[in-house]
Amino acid sequence: MMRATSALLLLSALLARAHDDSLQKGIAEFNRGQYADAQAWLEKAPDSPQRRTFLALTHAATGHCDTAREELAGEFAKDAASELGRLAGLALTQCLLAEGNYDDAGPVLARLRTLHPSDADVLYQCARLHMKAWNDTLYEMFRKTPNSYRVNQISAEIFEIQNRYPEAISEYRKAIEKNPAALNLHFRLGRALLLESHSPDNLVLARREFEAELTLNPADAAAEYETGQILLVSQAPEEAVKHFERAVAITPNFPEAMQALAKARLDAKQYPDAIILLENVVRLQPANESAHYSLMLAYRNAGRAADAAREQAELDKLQKSPQGEFTDFLKKLGEKAPKQ
Amino acid sequence: MIRSITVAVLFCLGAAAVNFQNVAREAGLTDSIPNGGVQSKKYIIETTGSGAAFLDYDNDGLLDIFVVSGPGGTNRLYHNLGNGKFADVTKEMGLEHTGWGQGVCAGDFDNDGYTDLFVTYWGANVLYRNRAGRGFEDVTAKAGLTQDRVRYNTGCAFLDYDNDGHLDLFVANYLKFDFASTPKPGENSYCWYRDLPVACGPRGLPFDRNILYHNNGNGTFKDVSEASGIAKAEQNYALSVLTGDFNHDGFTDIYVASDQTPSILYINHGDGSFTDEALPRGAAFDDNGKALSGMGVAAADYDRDGWTDIFRSNFSDERETLYHNRGGAEFDDVTLAAGMALNTRFVGWGCGFLDIDNRGWKDLLLVNGHVFPEVDRLGIDVHYKDRAILYRNTGTGKFVDISESAGPGILEKHSARGAAFGDYDNDGAVEILINNQNEPPSLLKQSTKPAGNWVLLKLEGVKSNRSAIGARVRLIAGDLVQTDEVRSGGSYLSQNDLRLHFGVGTARRINRVEIDWPSGAHQVETDLDVNRVLTIREKPGS
Repeated sequence: MMRATSALLLLSALLARAHDDSLQKGIAEFNRGQYADAQAWLEKAPDSPQRRTFLALTHAATGHCDTAREELAGEFAKDAASELGRLAGLALTQCLLAEGNYDDAGPVLARLRTLHPSDADVLYQCARLHMKAWNDTLYEMFRKTPNSYRVNQISAEIFEIQNRYPEAISEYRKAIEKNPAALNLHFRLGRALLLESHSPDNLVLARREFEAELTLNPADAAAEYETGQILLVSQAPEEAVKHFERAVAITPNFPEAMQALAKARLDAKQYPDAIILLENVVRLQPANESAHYSLMLAYRNAGRAADAAREQAELDKLQKSPQGEFTDFLKKLGEKAPKQ
Repeated sequence: MIRSITVAVLFCLGAAAVNFQNVAREAGLTDSIPNGGVQSKKYIIETTGSGAAFLDYDNDGLLDIFVVSGPGGTNRLYHNLGNGKFADVTKEMGLEHTGWGQGVCAGDFDNDGYTDLFVTYWGANVLYRNRAGRGFEDVTAKAGLTQDRVRYNTGCAFLDYDNDGHLDLFVANYLKFDFASTPKPGENSYCWYRDLPVACGPRGLPFDRNILYHNNGNGTFKDVSEASGIAKAEQNYALSVLTGDFNHDGFTDIYVASDQTPSILYINHGDGSFTDEALPRGAAFDDNGKALSGMGVAAADYDRDGWTDIFRSNFSDERETLYHNRGGAEFDDVTLAAGMALNTRFVGWGCGFLDIDNRGWKDLLLVNGHVFPEVDRLGIDVHYKDRAILYRNTGTGKFVDISESAGPGILEKHSARGAAFGDYDNDGAVEILINNQNEPPSLLKQSTKPAGNWVLLKLEGVKSNRSAIGARVRLIAGDLVQTDEVRSGGSYLSQNDLRLHFGVGTARRINRVEIDWPSGAHQVETDLDVNRVLTIREKPGS
């Protein structure tokens, strides 16, 4: 009898182990991306929360979202911070995006991003969501308001990103023709002209656009700043300074304008004024390498060697970061300084 | 009355027309110098091109020409026949050599009175000893300059960094390159230019480091890169080399234009050690604190304040850079204020200061051409072959671009790289020799003689190195006070005339020439003639 009981126990243990093996093998196949094998093993495994979640993940991965969605939502709601919760959330997002259900995908991704802020998969899905929304909205815009100046404006912005400046310039001009009073169009056209070329002709044309923007909106600090930059290159530094001063007066925390003004003060050997401006810039933007560099030279020229050395050390630290290149890319998109 | 006449004459001088013509064909420089792909380039080695040199190898008082070649041809030496023509003497002078030739520098390393040559390569560098003007001998191995691996050597310069009377040698290294492991166009993000797949780099390719060789005084050199601190700068794609005593402490410093990385300013401490102080001294970046793509480099006291300033040519979409030496080798980027911020569509290479009308103000010329032939497919305002740029120095700290009215030689389009500056016919006007990619060189010469008077100083060291490299000159002629320094290397991987050219305007005499020799001797010569070549020999103990 004892012997029969032991045999039964052994058999059930072996069966349990076989079931455990099925679950583990299913998970392993899932991790290898062998979804058909994963599904076969998982279906053999005894029911458990883990089995259900992995089966749902497998279904989602093979496009059977209808079968998977409820289980994924449950797992995600239960523990979104865990690795299984992260996987469930990502699979759920993928299903929702595939269905075009952006309204439900948005909150899931927002929660994932809060809990896993540096996760490449999470960030990738976020980018996809925004891209999809961008594409759909754009399509709608072209379909419903094909003749609006906004269509020309958005076309111009896309051309800019693609480095197709002549086309961008042409689209901005069409937009201005349709709505001469719209704000920001002249500014963007000026920027596109500068991106196309810094030839003397383009400098003249771009300056005209920035001035037109200022006519529409005299409180446009960015347009003041760009006008100042063109005047500087065109050998009119005194005039340029006036524009930088106005830009800073309009937007006191405008780092680029403050820095341009500081450089003018440096050229005029007005070191204390330059230092005050630059110290403000690095306070506003502690990672602004250019401002730290200017400040280092301002300290040096003012004879403040210890402060210059400190700024140099700061600069050394910052220059190890690769972020600069991406920042440059963003700048190229022509975004105005924040709060403009 | 006299004053008003002087003003009128000066005004005329200032307004004088300049007309540069390319006289290479008439001069006999007709052979094309191969350098990588013509329609497209697969590797970075095809893009960087080669240098050129003016040197008087046979001491006949006339500058000869040396042009460095890429594979598919040989470097060439042209003897100056004295009638505006040059004869190819490469073979008989023992200079035939093929390979990825890069830079050239000249100096009398063995103090035998004849100028020797050093040619850099991706591969093995070559030191040529000049055998009394009758031929050149490859003494690389004998001199201990054989390298233990393939290096991408670029700019070079002879300098006497320890003032012992023997010329040492600095060699810049661009990066580590080989054909097998370097990615092909389009293979990674560093292999694209404006949506075109192009030769990869320099970004994405491994750094190398620069080399300093000490001259042992017995025909051999010793690598002192580590001991001197030169090797510490190891995050730079180094190209052109410029030497000079930028802080007037009596020891030669070294500036290295670096591509897409901070440029280097090795300050010589006088005890055999150097430190890169480009960043705190304001010569590493542009005025935004950004590392540009430094290509060529030139020096002059363009504002005549007694301190040597630096000009660096850069890539397209970047400004050129003019660093003003505010004293003691502290520099300010004054490109914008000097009026040089407009030419951002050019990729600049060889460059040099020259006084085009002998007014006593150093003007500036730079040659251009994009690295990628493929860029012409884009139909934008950046071109593989482009014209040169000539800036006139207004004498007020500003330069005016006069390229469009400076003659057909300036406007000819080439993909130019090296450029050397020198007065090959001793007429008081500086000519420019340019090494063009896959074309014959250009030789730019003014069609009419400049109006101003001039002098060419040939310095000869006795206790100092024989080439007088590192000697600093202060020249006074009437109201004009100018300074300059004898230097090897410079421009883009090139060698200028070792003699110093000064325009002196309407002055009829040179009142005074003060020379600070590398030996420490301070020599003064007074009341000298103008419009001639003057040889000044070092008077030890002066």
